[in-house]
Amino acid sequence: MMIEVQHLHKSFRVHVRQAGWLDAVRHLWKRQYQVVEAVKDISFTIPKGEIVGFLGPNGAGKTTTMKMLAGLLHPTSGKMNVGGFVPFEQRPEFKKMMSLVMGQKSQLIWDIPPMETFLVNKAIYEIDDRTFRRTLDELVELLELQPLLTKPTRSLSLGQRMRCELAAALLHRPTVLFLDEPTIGLDVHTQEKVRRFIAEYNREHQTTILLTSHYMGDVTALCDRIMMINYGQLIYDGELSVLTEKLAPYKRLEVRFSEVPNARWEDYGEVAEVEDSQVVLRVNRERVAEVSAHFLQHFHVYDINIQDPPMEEVITRAFQEELSHGS
Amino acid sequence: MVRKYAALLRMKYMEMLAYRLATIVWMTGAITQPLITMAVWINIDPSQSDAFFFYFMAVIFVERMTSAWDVWELDREIREGTFSNYIIRPLHPIHWAIAENVVYKLLFLVILIPMWAGAALFVPALRVEISMSQLLLFLAAVLMGALLRFLLSYTCGLLGFWITKVAAIYSVLEVISLFLSGRIAPLSMLPPLLQQWSIFLPFRYMIGFPIDLISQAANGHEVRQGFMIASVWAVIFIMMLQWIWKAGLKKNQAVGG
Repeated sequence: MMIEVQHLHKSFRVHVRQAGWLDAVRHLWKRQYQVVEAVKDISFTIPKGEIVGFLGPNGAGKTTTMKMLAGLLHPTSGKMNVGGFVPFEQRPEFKKMMSLVMGQKSQLIWDIPPMETFLVNKAIYEIDDRTFRRTLDELVELLELQPLLTKPTRSLSLGQRMRCELAAALLHRPTVLFLDEPTIGLDVHTQEKVRRFIAEYNREHQTTILLTSHYMGDVTALCDRIMMINYGQLIYDGELSVLTEKLAPYKRLEVRFSEVPNARWEDYGEVAEVEDSQVVLRVNRERVAEVSAHFLQHFHVYDINIQDPPMEEVITRAFQEELSHGS
Repeated sequence: MVRKYAALLRMKYMEMLAYRLATIVWMTGAITQPLITMAVWINIDPSQSDAFFFYFMAVIFVERMTSAWDVWELDREIREGTFSNYIIRPLHPIHWAIAENVVYKLLFLVILIPMWAGAALFVPALRVEISMSQLLLFLAAVLMGALLRFLLSYTCGLLGFWITKVAAIYSVLEVISLFLSGRIAPLSMLPPLLQQWSIFLPFRYMIGFPIDLISQAANGHEVRQGFMIASVWAVIFIMMLQWIWKAGLKKNQAVGG
């Protein structure tokens, strides 16, 4: 196992303060604290070479968990082991085998070209000249960095910067990679590029990757396995396809009619949309064949389309279900 | 380690070049306060104007060579969460700060030395006649002063793990040091009680002590005692820094992201 986490907890003490003048004054000498449990009893393991998607709404504890795995945060309790190391012991050997990329925080030095950051990393990670050349060439080619290397970082677009960011994080060939929203704010085309790069890189180097993202596209394209976290607790850990079947035991049936029939759609499934000549139904998997056959036989169907529900819908459902029987 | 420093120095040099204008403004801005203070003192006691002139020119030199800005950098980096980028790399973040100090201070040196030499051609008060060994002692004292200020500033900066806007605390120390380091007036002009204290506090060794050496105001005993006390403070600061660093990492909230 590359990553092992057992009963991980993290709580923060934050001071609370109401808005307003009087309270601001009172706050000066009497502070009220509140303990926020960001991560509650999380356990999981990830084998070498696997890409795992880490999903959850904002503030669910994804980033906190990731920061603990990278050694930035000290866990309140629990055990963790990443590639044979205890992250928060901050051993240089550990730091050399992992990398953390945060979509919102740049490690590139802002006012000078990315190449300078690469050179600093080369020295800090003690990468020898030959390995550095080879790795850099590979990354430059895969990420199309050549024209960007000598421009000051601050003049790069977000997408260009993110590509350089990935290169800076991979120069020392980490065996474990933590990606915290690597595609945030990127346009669809660049997202696609970054995704393809991550998939290819993982295939090539067997890098273990834990990825958080708000974009379902990232997760469906890259991860077979997902972990879902909400209110600091792990609510699902398993295959993406199983989750879909479990939480979305229906398919989306999109039908367009050349002649609008007079029918009670509720009899066939849950109605998602009705528009002049078009109906979108959520139909139970077992009934899909029967229902579509019925439509084709009895109505004037112009077009029919059967799909798995979109990932967003599944995830939203998962969190709603958790909410309804959870608390 | 040599390679790491070579890379860091190169990068900091590039960065400094990117901030050319800011660096010059910052450099000249810091000269204003001693110049005004000097004008005030010369006005109070015109008979001593040569001595004051020399003293405050030396203040400008020593102050620039020992100045420390790390507390502001750390304050911002910890508060904004960018400090995490240093923590995850396999090199203690303090080396980045040391490299930065070296680059900027070398720049100050290559600007200030020719300026002093040029000015001394025209102003006799700026000419110094000291032996090589005295010059070396002076440089050692400047280095010690730079070390003390750097350590204090960096240690204060690390308090940012607990307190936001920690630079405010450092500003209080700066005000105390303004008097006790000899920046407002030569230490020999302070009330006797403060003079007594200043010997045992670290601030004197940040600015006043090196100036005493270059102006040959200190005797052999005072020089030895000065280096001794300064060294003790350096050890205390290093121990504090290490302890605060370890405790701070546990406390770290790695904000943002």
